[in-house]
Amino acid sequence: MSTRSKSWPTFLAERPAPWQPPADIYQTKDGWLVKFDLAGVQIGDVMVTIRGRRLVISGVRRDSFLEEGASHYSMEISYNRFERSLEMPANLENARVTIVACEGLLLVRTITEGKQNV
Amino acid sequence: MSEQPVVYTLPVLPLKSAVLFPYLMMPLSAGRPASIAAVEAALATESKEILVFTQRDPDVDSPAKDDLYSIGTKAVIRKMNRSGEGHLELMVLGMERVTLLKVDSSEPFLKGRAIPLPLPDDKGPEIEALQGALAELAGEALTLAQPNTPQELRGLLASNDDPLRLAFVLAAMFSLDADKSQSLLEAPTRAEALRMMHRYLMHEVQVLELRNKITNEARTEMSKEQKDYLLRQQMRAIQQELGEKGGEQAEAQQLRERLEKAGLPEDILKEAKRELDRLEKLPPGAPDYNVIRTYLDYVLELPWTKSTEDSLDIARARQVLDEDHFGLKDVKERILEHLGVLKLNPNAKAPILCFVGPPGVGKTSLGQSIARALNRKFERMSLGGLHDEAELRGHRRTYIGALPGRVIQAMRRAGANNPVLMLDEVDKLGHDFRGDPAHALLEILDPEQNKTFRDNYLDLPFDLSKVLFVTTANALDTIPRPLLDRMEILRLAGYSEEEKLEIAKRYLIPKQLKETGLTAEQCVLPDDTVRKIISGYTREAGLRRLERAIGSVTRKVALKFAEGATGPFNVGLEDLLEMMGPEPFNQEEARRDLPPGVATGLAWTESGGDVLYIEGTLLPDGKGMTLTGQLGEVMQESAKAAQSYIWSHAGDFDIDPALFKTSGVHVHVPAGAIPKDGPSAGVTMATALTSLYSKLPARSDVAMTGEITLTGLVLPIGGIKEKVLAARRAGIHTIILPKANQKDLRDLPEEVRKETEFIFASRVEDVLRTAIPQLAERMDASKTRPIIQAA
Repeated sequence: MSTRSKSWPTFLAERPAPWQPPADIYQTKDGWLVKFDLAGVQIGDVMVTIRGRRLVISGVRRDSFLEEGASHYSMEISYNRFERSLEMPANLENARVTIVACEGLLLVRTITEGKQNV
Repeated sequence: MSEQPVVYTLPVLPLKSAVLFPYLMMPLSAGRPASIAAVEAALATESKEILVFTQRDPDVDSPAKDDLYSIGTKAVIRKMNRSGEGHLELMVLGMERVTLLKVDSSEPFLKGRAIPLPLPDDKGPEIEALQGALAELAGEALTLAQPNTPQELRGLLASNDDPLRLAFVLAAMFSLDADKSQSLLEAPTRAEALRMMHRYLMHEVQVLELRNKITNEARTEMSKEQKDYLLRQQMRAIQQELGEKGGEQAEAQQLRERLEKAGLPEDILKEAKRELDRLEKLPPGAPDYNVIRTYLDYVLELPWTKSTEDSLDIARARQVLDEDHFGLKDVKERILEHLGVLKLNPNAKAPILCFVGPPGVGKTSLGQSIARALNRKFERMSLGGLHDEAELRGHRRTYIGALPGRVIQAMRRAGANNPVLMLDEVDKLGHDFRGDPAHALLEILDPEQNKTFRDNYLDLPFDLSKVLFVTTANALDTIPRPLLDRMEILRLAGYSEEEKLEIAKRYLIPKQLKETGLTAEQCVLPDDTVRKIISGYTREAGLRRLERAIGSVTRKVALKFAEGATGPFNVGLEDLLEMMGPEPFNQEEARRDLPPGVATGLAWTESGGDVLYIEGTLLPDGKGMTLTGQLGEVMQESAKAAQSYIWSHAGDFDIDPALFKTSGVHVHVPAGAIPKDGPSAGVTMATALTSLYSKLPARSDVAMTGEITLTGLVLPIGGIKEKVLAARRAGIHTIILPKANQKDLRDLPEEVRKETEFIFASRVEDVLRTAIPQLAERMDASKTRPIIQAA
């Protein structure tokens, strides 16, 4: 049986459509470090795009720990498409970008040559 | 989507009566085995995707492809939890619109093949306009549905980038039913979807407006009373904050303090406290509030136990009474007697006195004088024309504007429970359908009952037994017998000329002089002048006209002084004639020579006594007896009795018996307009008729009164003093009275007794002998003759 609960503000709990991973932004000596809570995401499934100050990370989290004969008892982790758009304090158009997956976190580092645009 | 058409092959979750829109998150609960299997299958995939379609008929339990709408949503399961009953609680997020191509039911759940069904990417001014209108309407609807909508929600409505999403959000927010939601989902274009949603929302707004209107109406009706209440509560709170007591609280507190101090009798205090408790519970706006307050005020102000101390100094009391009133020996004695009793027994019941007498003899002022002599409070109420019992006994408190009766009100004014309470004009009580106030008076005036007099308003027993009731009346015949029975009758007959002269000299002249501002030296009224005023210008039992006449004389004297005259002014008889004009009353009221058939009688009237003449004449061809002059039945009967007696004793009086047979007789008593009644004209009738039949005139200087019987006895009558005084006023100095009335002469002033010749008769013959001297001779002669029986 599938029924709908009447409490409509629930859909406001999260922004609809793709889910959004939480992020920390650090200022480094030579640029910025953005840390995304994106455990279990293959680095190949992630795409980072930079346009001016805007940094957008999108991708898909797949549930890759499926065993034969096992089934979900409960699920709290969001799968499937995610997308996060961040307005950065500086223009990153000309920055060098590296993406590293480390201990369940995805680190996006930008290094601006020469001066910093703050 | 410009790319290769995608086909999804995913488990299908059928929804019973809900539609999942793309972009929206929706909590769902899966309970059917097929649904649970579908969800578990979906969760077993990497992407957790599922197809959500709505059933056409929510009652179908295991739907096939045809039972599902062909357009649905591809969704991702975001969260899942198992509830106690084996249900799966889901949070699903709609991704995109899809259309179902095929359903495979080989597995325990439905597996569907679906392709995306994107909407054409239509943009433009129409969409923008529709989006704006929809957002505005949504704002309106939100305000109506939930006046305190979170601000973020409004922001979200305003800032929706995709208009389609706005429509879907609104559909979910306003819980459109499944059919409408499905149509919205199936809308071919954005514009169509927005229009559809606008239509739905418009309806929603109308419903909400109507609902709000109804609630508001109900609320305003209620709030009028609530507003008052609220304001009062606020006022109370403010007063408390200021350290003041609330108005009504202070009032109740004040009443309570007064109650404690009032020293009420036990049972009264109990009742009063009960009422006060009720008062405290009432809001001051309640209609009963003021009723109870007024009631408590009354209870508090009544002299339940308070009494004034009597002055028991008999000598002083006698002096006060004598100062205020001349004569009236009986009444004064009675008051002093009561004083004497009180001295020996302070708890003696007060007598209930009734002063009866003509107007102006001082009944009312005597009451005041009694109060002064006893040093008691005096209260007076007139019963004249009172026709409602409730006036005396009050209205019950249930009536609006109810008040206690006049008796209780008088007690409150007196402020003591032993005042002299004068009930004026007790003979002029009216009565109508509302009851007879005389009956209420029965209780008030009964010493046995008035100890616990219960006023309808108070509904508490009040002790009236200490009150000295004094009633006044002009005549006793209109007072009901039971009432009369309760009172001690004290007659104040009219005053004689000498008494009047004395009263004028002692009270009236000084009073009038004072009023006109003259001194006793400036204006002197000699006795002769006063006598003239008494006899010539006033004719009354009381003193009012005399007082007015004296006032008139003094004013005229004052005028002379004002015009410049000096020196003392002595008002002589000539001056009197000049000032007052000719005498309106003739001293020589008594007729000089009476023709046969006329006799002088004496009558008692409410304004004192009067002289009246009874005239008879024979009618040669008539028969029987005609009586005129407004004679009452008793008087008519006494005329017939007189005639019968004379007829049967015609021989004794030397009257031709044939006369009775051959001629009729007409008896008239002037003045014809005044009704007369009573038996006391019996002897006068007999005299007039004897004089008529015997053709011998009666003496004009003899007046008579007395009742007769058929056997010729003369019986006593009342009102002797008034009658004698009336005769004297008319200048008659010989009066025939019944022998039994001889004792009443004591009431007469000394001078009157001296100057008047009284003849006491025990039989009609005694009367006739005196009244008709010539007949006496004949009677003496007939006695010597042998009695011849007339044939």
